[in-house]
Amino acid sequence: MLEKGKISSFEMGLIMHPTIISTGILIVPSVTGKFAGKDMWLSPIWASIAGFIAILLAIALNKQYPKQTIVEYSEEILGCVLGKVVGIFIAIFYLHMNGIVLREYAEFVSGNFLLETPIFVIVGGMAFLCAMVVRAGLEVMVRTAVVFFPIVLLLLLLTVGLLLPDLEAKNIMPFMKDGIVPSIKGAYHPFSWFSEFFLITFILPFLSDRDKALKWGSISVLLVMVMMSMTNLFSVLLFGDMTSSFIYPVMSAAEYVSIAEFIEHIESMVMALWVIGVFLKVSMFHYATVLGFAQSFQLQDYRPLSLPLGLLLVGCSVWSISSLQELTDLLPVISFHLIMGQIFLPLVLLILSFIRKKRRKKSSA
Amino acid sequence: MPKPFKFLQQKKSLPPLLKEKDERPLSHSIEENEQTLQSIYAHCYDVVFRSFYIGGERKALLIYIEGLVDVSEMDDNMLSPLMEASALEFPEVVDLIEKKVSVGSVQEVNTFSDCISEVSSGNSLVLIDGTPKAISVGLTKWKSRSITESDAEVVVRGPREGFIEAIQVNTSMLRRRLRTPKLKLKTMEIGKYTKTQVILGYIEGIAQENLIKEVENRVQRIDVDGLIDSGELEEFIQDANYSPFPQVLSTERPDVVTANLLEGRVILIVDGSPFVLVMPVTFFSFLQIAEDYYARFMIGTLIRWLRYTFLFISLLLPSIYVALFTFHQEMIPTDLLISVASAREQTPFPALVEALLMEVTFEALREAGLRLPKQVGAAVSIVGALVIGEAAVQAGIVSSPMVIVVALTGIASFTIPRYPVSISIRVLRFPMIFLAGTLGLLGVIFGIIAIVIHLCTIRSFGVPYLSPLAPLHGDELKDVLIRAPWWTLNKRPRLTGERNTFRQSLHQQQSPEKRG
Repeated sequence: MLEKGKISSFEMGLIMHPTIISTGILIVPSVTGKFAGKDMWLSPIWASIAGFIAILLAIALNKQYPKQTIVEYSEEILGCVLGKVVGIFIAIFYLHMNGIVLREYAEFVSGNFLLETPIFVIVGGMAFLCAMVVRAGLEVMVRTAVVFFPIVLLLLLLTVGLLLPDLEAKNIMPFMKDGIVPSIKGAYHPFSWFSEFFLITFILPFLSDRDKALKWGSISVLLVMVMMSMTNLFSVLLFGDMTSSFIYPVMSAAEYVSIAEFIEHIESMVMALWVIGVFLKVSMFHYATVLGFAQSFQLQDYRPLSLPLGLLLVGCSVWSISSLQELTDLLPVISFHLIMGQIFLPLVLLILSFIRKKRRKKSSA
Repeated sequence: MPKPFKFLQQKKSLPPLLKEKDERPLSHSIEENEQTLQSIYAHCYDVVFRSFYIGGERKALLIYIEGLVDVSEMDDNMLSPLMEASALEFPEVVDLIEKKVSVGSVQEVNTFSDCISEVSSGNSLVLIDGTPKAISVGLTKWKSRSITESDAEVVVRGPREGFIEAIQVNTSMLRRRLRTPKLKLKTMEIGKYTKTQVILGYIEGIAQENLIKEVENRVQRIDVDGLIDSGELEEFIQDANYSPFPQVLSTERPDVVTANLLEGRVILIVDGSPFVLVMPVTFFSFLQIAEDYYARFMIGTLIRWLRYTFLFISLLLPSIYVALFTFHQEMIPTDLLISVASAREQTPFPALVEALLMEVTFEALREAGLRLPKQVGAAVSIVGALVIGEAAVQAGIVSSPMVIVVALTGIASFTIPRYPVSISIRVLRFPMIFLAGTLGLLGVIFGIIAIVIHLCTIRSFGVPYLSPLAPLHGDELKDVLIRAPWWTLNKRPRLTGERNTFRQSLHQQQSPEKRG
């Protein structure tokens, strides 16, 4: 097997949480607000269904091919040629998506904090760190997640806690003015975020306690749901209808913080802590890319690929999108892309694998 | 070994020249033996050759090194009984020695190389005519420093003993604290010329077999011509060579070593070095000191938190200062910003340069203060306090807030109890300042992420460096995040004490017995 490390289900749940939430709390409130208005805090609850579907799909497929990732078992399910195409597609898919994630982060940082720093430096620094951690292996990556997880949690609690005096409870009314539909419409974007839980397919084969994967996976989904819903709720309580007019409501919220005229404008600190979450997300995606490529080409080791693919990742993030405007315009497409790649494709694979199994049984019987 | 440093490695492996031995056996004729040994010890004025006759008949030769042997005891208990004995009475040499020499440690030696090593280690050697054997008599005695309190690890409450350079004294201190035959002390020898004694210590039944074997293997494979201090040995056996962080704990305190032995760790004592090596260790071992465990647990916990806080201050304060004043002025409260800005108005340097300038100066001051002869030490403190502080600010070269930041950082780095980690943090501070000066808080976070990745990567003899935090063992965090009371510390650390999990019975908190 390519990956020699072993991690526990608990650690898997732990790394998946910042993987989803880090960019989630940045953009999701705004894009959800466009559709759901004041009911936007309900949307993540609907959207979390995608998380559960993704986890169930990954685990169901893993049950049939316990020691393989999607890249490997797609070859067994679809045959050599088509399977390889799908495998390489998935690796490129994650490379591309990772490029977009990285660009989201870079646009945010360069647009708000480091106005004159070339975007290449911001992207390159992050890509380098992620490539380094992937090169060190899954175990190390998970360990960094364990160290940083409390910090990511702290970030949210800090922002929320410091904002408490500014919240306006009345802002939440009217509740479900147009029925349930807007909140479901608003769930479309978070849905794609939750579908990223399918990434556990790259971790499942290396778990030491696979029977607990479902438990910790679900807990992770629930926790992401609670946190996303909470950020949306607080955005509504703070800004009311205006939420969708901000690009980054949570960061704008942080600007409002003023305690005793001493703790003010903590958005730079929130950004700094949030960058840690992004680091974990990009590393997880990069790990999927690197492992995907290594398994597609049946290499002995995936580690040497990490740095070169990191370079490609920088390219991807610089080429794929030209500006923040384009990014927000393309977001529906990206979400669709994510859902197709992480829900639809595995679903097809699962159905085909069942058909295959039945046929084999018939032919043997 | 990472690729950039490959060139540092020897291309071809040298043949193990350094371990060659003179395995020639001793001859029957004492003249021949004397000649050979004389030629080996030519131009060594301190090696004494003394011929005498056992009982006035049989020729014998005594060899010892002056200054390493207790001469008066040698005269009383060996030379005079032997000279007075009659050789005819005891035809067998061993017999003679057994019955006449009243010294505790006596050993038979057969080859020249063994003869040399016995003489070198301070024993006196007796050769007797007609036998191809020599007798080594342990009458070693030399001057050593008396036991004093360790200078590097000071405690307010706790034992005051510290290790010294003489290995026998050190092992005796350990034996006195661990009165069990399960305390094993294996001896090894390193160095072609120094023949330094290295002792591997562990407690049988607690330390894991594979750990003991691994440490022993690593030490035994070392092939050098000299080993001066345990610091050298540490570099030979550590896991990650290209890391600023120490992976072996060195301590001068016997109580610390005892506690570590009881947690299943392995120690290495090097003759001539008062620092005993303890392995495997985690990052947190360097932030805990003996006194945490002797003080009341609440105090111990609070002091630990203080130490953790100042660890971060020591690493990050200058870089955060630079980041805030270069990139994120809006985060600073207005009043503070105004006062700092007015103080900085006159300084010609950007914050980054100012910080680097001051930090480097401070490090230089500290180094100078450490190495100076005591008589001129006062000069440094005067120069440091006046020139770097007051005068520099008044001349407008640096701003006073910067001086405060540097001073705070300096104090913070002194709160890190173990010197090797304190140095690592000092070193890492400089790249952090650079990152802060170029990328602001983002750069600081980049630096932190890089350090955490590195810390997660390294292992010390198989134990992950950040355990029990990462990989997480929730149960053990009670001895890391806080200092839990003794009666809850029932288990040994999992990664070293797995073999013998419990160190005490449960429910050890003693309260008055409940009556009926």
